[in-house]
Amino acid sequence: MSSLAFGHDWRRRFPRPSAQAGTVAAFAGLAFILYGASPAAAHCFAGSRFFPATLSVEDPCVADELSLPTISSFKTGDIPANRELDISGEFSKRITEDFGVSIGRTYTRLWVPGGPGAHGWQNLETTFKYQFLTWPQAEFVVSAGVSVEWGRTGNASVGAEKFHTVTPTLWVGKGMGDLPPSFGFARAFALTGQVGYAIPTWRRTVTVTSIDLDTGDVELDEERHRHFLEYGGSIQFSMPYLKANVVDLGLPDVFNRMVPLVEARFRTPVANMIQMANTWDENNRTTGTVNPGIIYVADKFQIGAEAIIPINRASGKGVGWVAQLHFYLDDIFPTTIGRPIIPISARIGQ
Amino acid sequence: MMMMGKTLLAASFVLAGAVAAHAHAQLESANPRVGSVVSAAPSVLTLNFSEAVEPAFSSVQVTDAGGRRVDGGKMRVDRGNPRQVQVPLQALAPGQYNVRWRVLSADTHKTEGSFGFEVRP
Repeated sequence: MSSLAFGHDWRRRFPRPSAQAGTVAAFAGLAFILYGASPAAAHCFAGSRFFPATLSVEDPCVADELSLPTISSFKTGDIPANRELDISGEFSKRITEDFGVSIGRTYTRLWVPGGPGAHGWQNLETTFKYQFLTWPQAEFVVSAGVSVEWGRTGNASVGAEKFHTVTPTLWVGKGMGDLPPSFGFARAFALTGQVGYAIPTWRRTVTVTSIDLDTGDVELDEERHRHFLEYGGSIQFSMPYLKANVVDLGLPDVFNRMVPLVEARFRTPVANMIQMANTWDENNRTTGTVNPGIIYVADKFQIGAEAIIPINRASGKGVGWVAQLHFYLDDIFPTTIGRPIIPISARIGQ
Repeated sequence: MMMMGKTLLAASFVLAGAVAAHAHAQLESANPRVGSVVSAAPSVLTLNFSEAVEPAFSSVQVTDAGGRRVDGGKMRVDRGNPRQVQVPLQALAPGQYNVRWRVLSADTHKTEGSFGFEVRP
């Protein structure tokens, strides 16, 4: 599992997996105590294909991983745009071979033009994921699960909501290595994707904006909490796959460990929107970013960096960036927290 | 904010320092080289992995274009270099060949892969 996180505006649009250091430590300690014993597959493998942990969309597997830290900087879609810096982390733990839980959180710092800045924690997020299909020959993986953003666990000053948001999600990964050999370099490509439906547990928030003390009239402000379709994916060119499965070009090792990729993630409001006759509400448009970048895959960790390019003004202003250090816990701690707690598997195809 | 940054940095260094255990065994090189064309038919296939390989739970198969096995039997792991695997080959005629390997590394991680090479005198 894995991926990252992104700032309040970015993150609010794209719920992320990330994590708070204290929570990570507590979880890690618990995992140490509960460690199980099993043969290990881990990582995100489907046959010969390794899917690295991507930064903005989640990879399609269940694994023992730690993304720490993920740092992103960008300008939000507000007018005028705020500058936002996010530092986040995510800890992912396999409960069984196929079922895992990840917990993540983000610390946000906001710079508001002409106004006071703000800083604080975003809401805690938890993802439950079941990798139910792995088809090695086709380099194909499918997982399903649900992400929960827990309301009232963050700071309202940086936009953390009081309500929970539940997002059932499907993740898919497909390597192109099963193409005929005549396709050559194209066999090193892989695609990943995810689609989820975000459901806030509150339909609306009503706040009193003013009270007329003479008449007793109360003025209310209603904010609808919309449902969102959240979707995205990545296209990756795996140099490690090229070298080991297609053609060894004799390049220096540093190049053979790189995975250039483009990620994209979008968010479209689909329900509980405010309907205004004959007008187009800017708040109801699709937002998203396209993130070209590169991941360097070492034996037990990876480093990734991407540009964050908003698709429209509502998605942000200018080009931001995100960088991540990600650890493969199954390789670093193969006999303790790198193993599933209960070593059973019920997945199809493996 | 500064404190949290230092904590994260420290945790990252601790983890980076812990990177001493084994990892998944990845194919680092092969002879004949992955995707290569060789003029002389090799009598042995050599695979070099990034980690030591457990021979009892590992296998390598070499097949010709028709799917017929052309490896000469059991693979052998070099005693002096447990990351190196060798497989004897039958006399190879000109043509395309496919290598499929599955290995178990010392820390029980399973990996697999396949590649082709061509003999063209």
